Amino acid sequence: MKIFVSCVSPIVAALLVATAAMAQDKVPLKTQLPKPLFVGTPVPLNVPNLEPPLKGKRADFMVPAGTVLLSKGKKVTASDDSPVTGTLDLVTDGDKAGDEGSWVELGPGKQWVQIDLAKKATIYAVLVWHYHSQARVYRDVVAQVSDDPNFKSGVTTIFNNDFKNEVGAGAGKDQNYVETYQGKLIDAKGAQGRYVRLYSNGNTTNKLNDYIEVEVWGKPAA
Amino acid sequence: MVDKLNRREFLSATAVAGAAMLIDACKSDSSDQKAVVKKSSLNNINVALIGYGEEGKVLLEAFLNIEGVKLVALCDIWEYHRGEGERYLKKLGNEVRSYENYEDLLAKEKDLQAVLIATPDFWHAPMTNTCLKAGLHVYCEKMMSNTIDGARSMVKTMRDTGKLLQIGHQRRSNPRYLFTLNRLLHEAQFCGKLTAIQGQWNRAVKEDFGWPKKYEISQTMLAKYGYKDMHQFRNWRWFKGLGGGPLSDLGAHQIDIFNWWMGKTPKSVMASGGLDYYKNHDWYDNAMVIYEYPVEQAVARAFYQVQTTTSAGGGYYEQFMGDDGTIRMSEDPAICAIYREARATAVSWDDLTQKGYVKAKPLAADTAKVDVRETAALAEYEIPVFFNKPPHQPHLENFFNAIRGTAKLNCPADEAFTSEYVIHKANEAVAAEKKISISDEEVRA
Ligand SMILES: NC(=O)c1ccc[n+]([C@@H]2O[C@H](COP(=O)([O-])OP(=O)(O)OC[C@H]3O[C@@H](n4cnc5c(N)ncnc54)[C@H](O)[C@@H]3O)[C@@H](O)[C@H]2O)c1
Repeated sequence: MKIFVSCVSPIVAALLVATAAMAQDKVPLKTQLPKPLFVGTPVPLNVPNLEPPLKGKRADFMVPAGTVLLSKGKKVTASDDSPVTGTLDLVTDGDKAGDEGSWVELGPGKQWVQIDLAKKATIYAVLVWHYHSQARVYRDVVAQVSDDPNFKSGVTTIFNNDFKNEVGAGAGKDQNYVETYQGKLIDAKGAQGRYVRLYSNGNTTNKLNDYIEVEVWGKPAA
Repeated sequence: MVDKLNRREFLSATAVAGAAMLIDACKSDSSDQKAVVKKSSLNNINVALIGYGEEGKVLLEAFLNIEGVKLVALCDIWEYHRGEGERYLKKLGNEVRSYENYEDLLAKEKDLQAVLIATPDFWHAPMTNTCLKAGLHVYCEKMMSNTIDGARSMVKTMRDTGKLLQIGHQRRSNPRYLFTLNRLLHEAQFCGKLTAIQGQWNRAVKEDFGWPKKYEISQTMLAKYGYKDMHQFRNWRWFKGLGGGPLSDLGAHQIDIFNWWMGKTPKSVMASGGLDYYKNHDWYDNAMVIYEYPVEQAVARAFYQVQTTTSAGGGYYEQFMGDDGTIRMSEDPAICAIYREARATAVSWDDLTQKGYVKAKPLAADTAKVDVRETAALAEYEIPVFFNKPPHQPHLENFFNAIRGTAKLNCPADEAFTSEYVIHKANEAVAAEKKISISDEEVRA
């Protein structure tokens, strides 16, 4: 570095060092992926504004060094407190397998789940596995971060593909996507808050709302 | 059927000259067909669903879109699935009575007209026979049974009781299949002389199903219902005595289309297959089958392959190939295609396009031939029929319309039996490693 610095102007050198430090600061987010699992008759999907399917593995997603999984084992609440299947703790239990018993299924129509991270955090990524044993699209997916458990104030929306504003968080501009074993990675861009809430409104197979796992990655507030 | 289709959606999808004709062509429940049962006042048909696994859920979802039918009871031996169904239906405002045992259900439910059966194959014959004898109409999933005798007994009971028995080959009620068969294959003779058929269902390697440990069924109860253990209960389709292996599980759909579209059954089958990949299954995990269909003093060979270790080769389809053209059908519209041979002159393609029977696809930019001996690339067309419903819904609608006396079943058990028979024979040919003849007599129940 010394040799390098000696042959450029001090300002440029400072910038380069800062950039290098920033680049060094970023590390790829490493999560464990479950085994791929597809069963049943494939359903032809007839969904507008559908993101092209991922070809192979998702490219590395860079997060600041020191980013940790904040959500594991954290308390989950939901709009439906008597789920059709499973229990809410499945959302943060670390099990992302696509098989029966791994998901909690909330009732028909518009529903939400909410994770309490126990304290405020800076959030860089949210990964969501609704269901991955069949190619499905969950409708009106909205993800928000807030310090208010009721999501009335200080709400940051980090993902929204609810074009028609069915959920009421405003019309979204993100694309629909097909569920896979890789989960959906949402760039939370450093949003701050203690609670993460996810909405959906049924899916292309049925009217229900499933969650196998949600991972919230970030840094707890000091 | 099409009368139940969202007419506007259908018309817009087929917004071309002759749209009304298209609708006619797709109708499976046309008025000139004789009703099998007397017209009744069955405006509200009470239905029970037996088996709420993967397919039971699919049937329920399609069922919920249909008017004039009500699910009143649900049966599943697994509390985990049964509870799921009960709670879902309750949340929809459709409370049902639920049962572990189907005989209890039949004993207690006195105001039922029909049942839908979506249990593992080896339960189909006993359940169907008992339900028909109890005076109910039955929609039973494919395969009819894991044995030829089981399937035959179902046809007999259907005849003895005079009740309806629809088999769940849902493509037989699919408007795209009906349209293509009636208009393109039959009326327009699109393929010319049919010379070969090809079908496949190739699926990638998949882990066996597991189960949530806290919902394990007791050994006594598993034994009572014919399962050795939880693994077998969850993966029944790969075990002899319970299911019929991949040719029956996946191939059933396509081999049924072979028979349906050819309007006849094959005179022989030869096959090769094996258990070459999976360690803990009974049935072979791959098979290649050749059926010989008699056509005008010649033979049209039908090749079918099923793979459970690779999804390569274009997924799942049935392809009818002739000297003038080829039709590739699939439940997935993206896989469907029709190709015209350069030599085809008998049919005016402009005329077909005008009528809206086909839609030309633009030629790909890179159609240059690699080898001069290659036949010129086939002109490709699309089938202009789409429907915006779950794939099983038209078949269920056909069943309920038949109960009301306004339609004829699209897949009655005696018709399905012929497909059932030749599928079982393919399994037999794999085991025997030889060509097996199939006579016209034995293939009928
Ligand atoms: N038409 C199609 O496209 C299609 C697609 C898939 C499956 N199927 C057919 O549907 C049927 C079910 O297949 P699946 O994939 O849903 O299997 P599955 O194992 O997922 O479900 C079977 C269900 O039946 C229950 N069951 C088992 N034995 C029972 C009994 N004696 N009484 C009551 N309930 C019982 C099980 O608990 C389970 O919930 C099979 O015949 C299969 O071939 C058809």
